[in-house]
Amino acid sequence: MVDNKQQWKAWLYLSPAIVLLLVFTVWPIFNTVRMSLLENYSGLKAAGGAVFEFGFGNFEKVVQYKRFKECLTNTVLLCVLTVPISTLLALLIAVTLNSIKPLQKLLQTIFFLPYVTNSIAIGMVFAAMFNIIGLRPDGINADTWGIINNVIQFFGGKPVNWINQGSQYWANMTVMVVYIVWNALPFKILVLLGGLQSINKQYYDAAKVDGTSRRRVFSRITVPLLSPMLAYVIITGFIGGFKEYTSIVGIFGETMGPPDAANRLNTMVGFIYDALSSNSQGRASAAALILFAIILAVTLFNNMVIKKHTHY
Amino acid sequence: MDKNVMHAKDLQQTSVQQKIVKFGVKFFAYLFLCTMALIVLFPFYWMIISSLKSLAEYRLNVPTFWPQKIIWFNYVEAFNTANLGSLFVNTMIVGVASTLLSLVITVLSAFAFARLEFKGRDTLFTLLLATMMIPGELFTITNYTTVTQLNWMNTYTVLIVPFLVSVFYIFLLRQNFLQIPNELYLAAKVDGTSDLKYLWKVMVPLALPTLISITILKMMGAWNSYMWPRLVANDEAHRLITNGLRNAFTTTSGDVNYPVQMAAVALVSAPLFLVFIFLRKYIMAGVSRSGIKG
Amino acid sequence: MKVTLQNLTKIFPSRDKKSGKEVVAVNDFTFEIPDGKLIGLLGPSGCGKSTTLYMISGLQKPTAGRIFFGDDDVTELSTENRGIGLVFQNYALYPHMSVKQNILFPLQNLKGKDKMTKNEMLERAYEAARLVQIDELMDRKPSELSGGQQQRVAIARALVKMPRVLLLDEPLSNLDARLRLQTREEIRRIQKETGITTVFVTHDQEEAMSISDMIVVMKLGVVQQIGKPQEVYDNPTNLFVAKFLGTPPINVFNGNITGGKLYIGEEAVMDVPGVEDQAVTVGIRPEGFELADDGKLTCNLSNVEVMGRDVSVVSTNDASVNPVIRSIINADNKIDLSQTTVRFNLKPHKVFIFNAETEERLYVEVK
Repeated sequence: MVDNKQQWKAWLYLSPAIVLLLVFTVWPIFNTVRMSLLENYSGLKAAGGAVFEFGFGNFEKVVQYKRFKECLTNTVLLCVLTVPISTLLALLIAVTLNSIKPLQKLLQTIFFLPYVTNSIAIGMVFAAMFNIIGLRPDGINADTWGIINNVIQFFGGKPVNWINQGSQYWANMTVMVVYIVWNALPFKILVLLGGLQSINKQYYDAAKVDGTSRRRVFSRITVPLLSPMLAYVIITGFIGGFKEYTSIVGIFGETMGPPDAANRLNTMVGFIYDALSSNSQGRASAAALILFAIILAVTLFNNMVIKKHTHY
Repeated sequence: MDKNVMHAKDLQQTSVQQKIVKFGVKFFAYLFLCTMALIVLFPFYWMIISSLKSLAEYRLNVPTFWPQKIIWFNYVEAFNTANLGSLFVNTMIVGVASTLLSLVITVLSAFAFARLEFKGRDTLFTLLLATMMIPGELFTITNYTTVTQLNWMNTYTVLIVPFLVSVFYIFLLRQNFLQIPNELYLAAKVDGTSDLKYLWKVMVPLALPTLISITILKMMGAWNSYMWPRLVANDEAHRLITNGLRNAFTTTSGDVNYPVQMAAVALVSAPLFLVFIFLRKYIMAGVSRSGIKG
Repeated sequence: MKVTLQNLTKIFPSRDKKSGKEVVAVNDFTFEIPDGKLIGLLGPSGCGKSTTLYMISGLQKPTAGRIFFGDDDVTELSTENRGIGLVFQNYALYPHMSVKQNILFPLQNLKGKDKMTKNEMLERAYEAARLVQIDELMDRKPSELSGGQQQRVAIARALVKMPRVLLLDEPLSNLDARLRLQTREEIRRIQKETGITTVFVTHDQEEAMSISDMIVVMKLGVVQQIGKPQEVYDNPTNLFVAKFLGTPPINVFNGNITGGKLYIGEEAVMDVPGVEDQAVTVGIRPEGFELADDGKLTCNLSNVEVMGRDVSVVSTNDASVNPVIRSIINADNKIDLSQTTVRFNLKPHKVFIFNAETEERLYVEVK
């Protein structure tokens, strides 16, 4: 029995949320699909009374754009590089952190620190670390100066032009991977450490009684028991990776690349915003839906793999 | 059973071996963790010492690890160059307003989902959760048009209203509300307490840690938001801190005063660190359940 | 394998650093566990029985004292080198592994000359599984097993590497009453068949008494009494042991010895020749009562609970420490429920006298 008064009250309480969700979440979903299916849809032209034909042209055009392919490649590359590296590193740190007692709390706090940062602001710091100055106003070329290069030279390596005019794509990519991994670690460590701490200590005692080696404890007990958390971290990592954008802005600014190769590091999200800025809502919508489809596919794929490998 | 018999010599050897292995493992554990911790901390250190250097010292080929002469004035200059004062104010206005409104909406909705019975409740809740899968950029495209048509461009409204409802926060709070025994609500009903009073006097205090987590994450969200403000309110009067920072230092070449830039970065980061130091517990609790940054 | 505990002591630093009070979990425990016996460590929670077990296992290090397996001093040896099998209270079966994988796990850890081939391992695993009668469940996951079955898997996992000593931590506490009876017989059988020295911890005196060769009763870290179950039951060294063993529990009275006679209340119930006058505590086992019209102890009859072969007479007495007195009487005795009092004679060997203050047993002749 649901009494009418309660019904009425419930909807009243929900009304602000529902109104806002209808306008800013539900309508956009439908509208995005609509716009993506109208040939060359543009908000500006629509306001001028233009009529658009129905069709899949936006998708076709988006997919054919060379720039879109570049953006997709960059995004996928960043995901494929950063997710495994950061997950593995976070796992190692979390497991080691879980094995010590003194200083554990302090180190845990330090490892969480990068989380509470502004990714644009700290991106600028990373940019400064990889390159101090670029071309100095007095004409001296300082492209390969910077603390990171100093460290490389200290170990006998050759300095690299990381982000300046004339820098290589792989160098730019390396900077992004380092920064994104640094940025992604805290969340992963937090979740994995939480998972580790909730594993019943008796499993480890039992393993100890059986004389299990550290490596085997790690691979046969820790990792399987941690697999739900690992799955969570990997999936959210991929979702975040496919939406990468601001960290690149943080390092390269809105040129999304070195001055002589603007947009070289652009991503899917960047592509969508660019299309939006040039008033091609049709293309932007198509790209956003493609992004959604990719994220959905990756998530489902991950889930499938995980289901196969987590057995309890 | 024979193989199990150990002799005194073996025993001693095993026990010494054990100790060495144990020490070695501990040593490498700390070595690894401390190295990683230094790597994690290094950017912050570099930010601070760079922000205190003179431009000339900053430009040295071999960098100094501590400023030869500490230039505090960089901070004053940063504050003025990036117009940080007005950016702070704008961000605070948007942050506080959106946090307060968002809390009210979240509490009311979570209460309805957790305690009231109405037709279609579970279906509606499932639909809401489903929207969490969709990337935010998909909404932005239409919302951009919507706010243009509403004539909200370059106002505080456009920075506050579109993101007031967070399905994730409603979900988080609803779970928390559900843990509060329903008997309390029924008892309050018997005593003739109104819903709102009950909500305010019982539910909100009991769910306070979650509400604090939400508040902090929401404020951090305003502090770190970049894309949407850049699209819809990038004028002087309404610009938020992250945009302001990026706009003030766009070029990476030419005669840029990097120490001042680092000082600005440090100033923008400082409030986040303060919040982190004092409210770490709530941030970690909220974050470990979200996976969403800010 | 004979296990010797020598002055074993474990002190935990206090959790609260300020108050600085340490907890002595086990205090100066010395005991030689004979080879091939089943030993029950018994006591209420916090008595140090689990700590003792974990020290034998090596998972906890003693603060002082030594542990020997046979003639080997294993005090400094870490768990994995001790060759023990340990069954945890909640079994600690790896949830992501099947029963077979769980049992194989310890064998796969063996290195060097102990390393086995796959077939050898499988053979051993099935042998262990057959011993505990779970060889048909080998491909299940722990979550698909009942509590009793999980318990058996845990025992099989502990037995499969043929441990020198088998340790069981509250092995039956997670089982329901019926399974508990069945499983404890099972443990007894397995122990007999394998002949492995076995130590198990329990707070359930009935469980300990029913299957142990010897029991060790502990309280607040101090061993109270060690002996064969029946001996300890028949001859408790102090009031604590007397109260801890037996269901229904022993009846306790405040009493007095005056002029060679033991008084409960105003009544002289027993002769204790040659004992000096003093206040005492008297413990009488429920089966120590005999109905008699001219009985020496008079109690107020409350009711009679029929238990089949026996009846339990519930009565009260002002001198009784407990609210009611329970006595077990052969059901052939007819009791008239309309009467308000009931009189008992006492069986001398079921009456124990303790010092009223120290609660230590007064070993005196009771007639």
